[in-house]
Amino acid sequence: MAEQRTNSRPPKGNFIKAVSAVVWKDLQAEFRSRELFSAMLVFSLLIILIFNFALELDVKTRQSVTAGVLWATFAFAGTLGLNRSMAIEKDRGCLDGLLLAPVDRSASYFGKVISNLAFMLIVEIIVLPVYSVLYNINLFQPGLLLVILLGSIGYVGVGTLLAAMSVQTRTRDILLPILLFPVVIPVLLAAVKASTGYLEGLEFSEILSPLSLLIAYDVIFIAVAFMVFDSVVEE
Amino acid sequence: MFYQTPTVDTSGYMIAGYAVAFIVMGLYVASLYIRTRNLNRDMETLEEMENSDS
Amino acid sequence: MQAKPVTLKILDVFSIITLAVSAYLALVFAPTELVMGDVQRVFYFHIGTAWTALLGFILAAVLSVIYLVSKDLKWDRLQVAAIEVSLVFFFITIVLGSIWARPAWNTWWTWDPRLTTAAVTELIYIAYFMLRQGLDDPERRARFGAVYALIGGLSAPITFFAIRLYRTIHPVVIGGNNPEAEGGFAMSADMRVAFFFALFAFTIIFIDLFWNRVRLGALENKVEQLKLKVTM
Repeated sequence: MAEQRTNSRPPKGNFIKAVSAVVWKDLQAEFRSRELFSAMLVFSLLIILIFNFALELDVKTRQSVTAGVLWATFAFAGTLGLNRSMAIEKDRGCLDGLLLAPVDRSASYFGKVISNLAFMLIVEIIVLPVYSVLYNINLFQPGLLLVILLGSIGYVGVGTLLAAMSVQTRTRDILLPILLFPVVIPVLLAAVKASTGYLEGLEFSEILSPLSLLIAYDVIFIAVAFMVFDSVVEE
Repeated sequence: MFYQTPTVDTSGYMIAGYAVAFIVMGLYVASLYIRTRNLNRDMETLEEMENSDS
Repeated sequence: MQAKPVTLKILDVFSIITLAVSAYLALVFAPTELVMGDVQRVFYFHIGTAWTALLGFILAAVLSVIYLVSKDLKWDRLQVAAIEVSLVFFFITIVLGSIWARPAWNTWWTWDPRLTTAAVTELIYIAYFMLRQGLDDPERRARFGAVYALIGGLSAPITFFAIRLYRTIHPVVIGGNNPEAEGGFAMSADMRVAFFFALFAFTIIFIDLFWNRVRLGALENKVEQLKLKVTM
């Protein structure tokens, strides 16, 4: 039976259902195997360990460098999660399954973004207290958590799109960081600036600028990725 | 009238800079030429193969 | 391959002439800058290549959108040419920027927003080609290339502003508006002549190289198609 691609949009309820279906499928699969999650977590902790030996994190420098160390950790661990998440799709042929469903393909994009974001946030939530304990800094400030959320959204928004592409190339995993890092620099810059601002207790007026940049980046890139995702998964 | 420190001689750097600019551009033009030539050769070979097939 | 159109042959010659004239203006005609001496002359070629590579970058992003909408591979050929030539030009920009920095600010690299963004953009270009190389299907190559060039094209300007806003330790020094900035300089009338002519010259050279590269791309496609046909 040939699939009819008509221009009439399926009712909105379908869209949300499709998105939730994708998210739920990923979360369930991950809950059962936990391979992605444990890999990301262990990797993050190891990175923090490496930073400890690579940088002289005495009490004075710790303050200024914490935000950078955290975000570098998230950036590296993030690629791990993104790679695995899309590789699983490709290997199990799930991508094809999603494509045949009579639903807007952007639903699969949003679904993947949300599940990837969930994984990343869970890892971050665990890394924060570990870092806090190891370096005696209180990282559980609402401002910082907000920055981490916004930064992760931007990172995962672009990362999911680029991972969908890199997983279809010959070089696969290696290519994702090469594609992702140059493009995600504004997120890192703004996130580190805003994080440091919150950690050092600066005036909100000073933190407003990088925070707005994060929000602007998130909006722009998720919008673009949403429009363009079709081109990336069609056969 | 006023004492002015004489202008530093940085011409060595200038020569290095221009050398880089010209050499890089030259290399690129050369690469375009070589690639074109190679492709033309491939084209000849392929056309021969096509003719001998049919 | 079709013979080179006469216009292109003329453009080739014209490019070489304008390059020579620009070099003369920059090396002989323009006065020597007072504080940092002759090395300042690299500035003309540094900005010439930077400016055109930037335009090439914007062109590539626009071509992305056109390709994604039209699906005509011709636009992909144009995009590859634009990015390749811009890659070469930005490389010159970066190296010249470094060579200028050394005697002017006693460092091989300044993390100023312009130079850093040029380096980031260069990495995006290289990533673009690595992405294409990992794909065999020409249609997919074109699609993915277009998507990445679009994403890259949007992020680079944001990177520039982010660095400018949030990295206050490293102010805009190269070619900045403030001549009092350490290592900066104000342009005299003769310098301005050399400056604007360099912009003009590099635009001409860019168009020439671009056109040549597009023709090369067309030839590549023909060969690839013929290869498939013959080896079937």
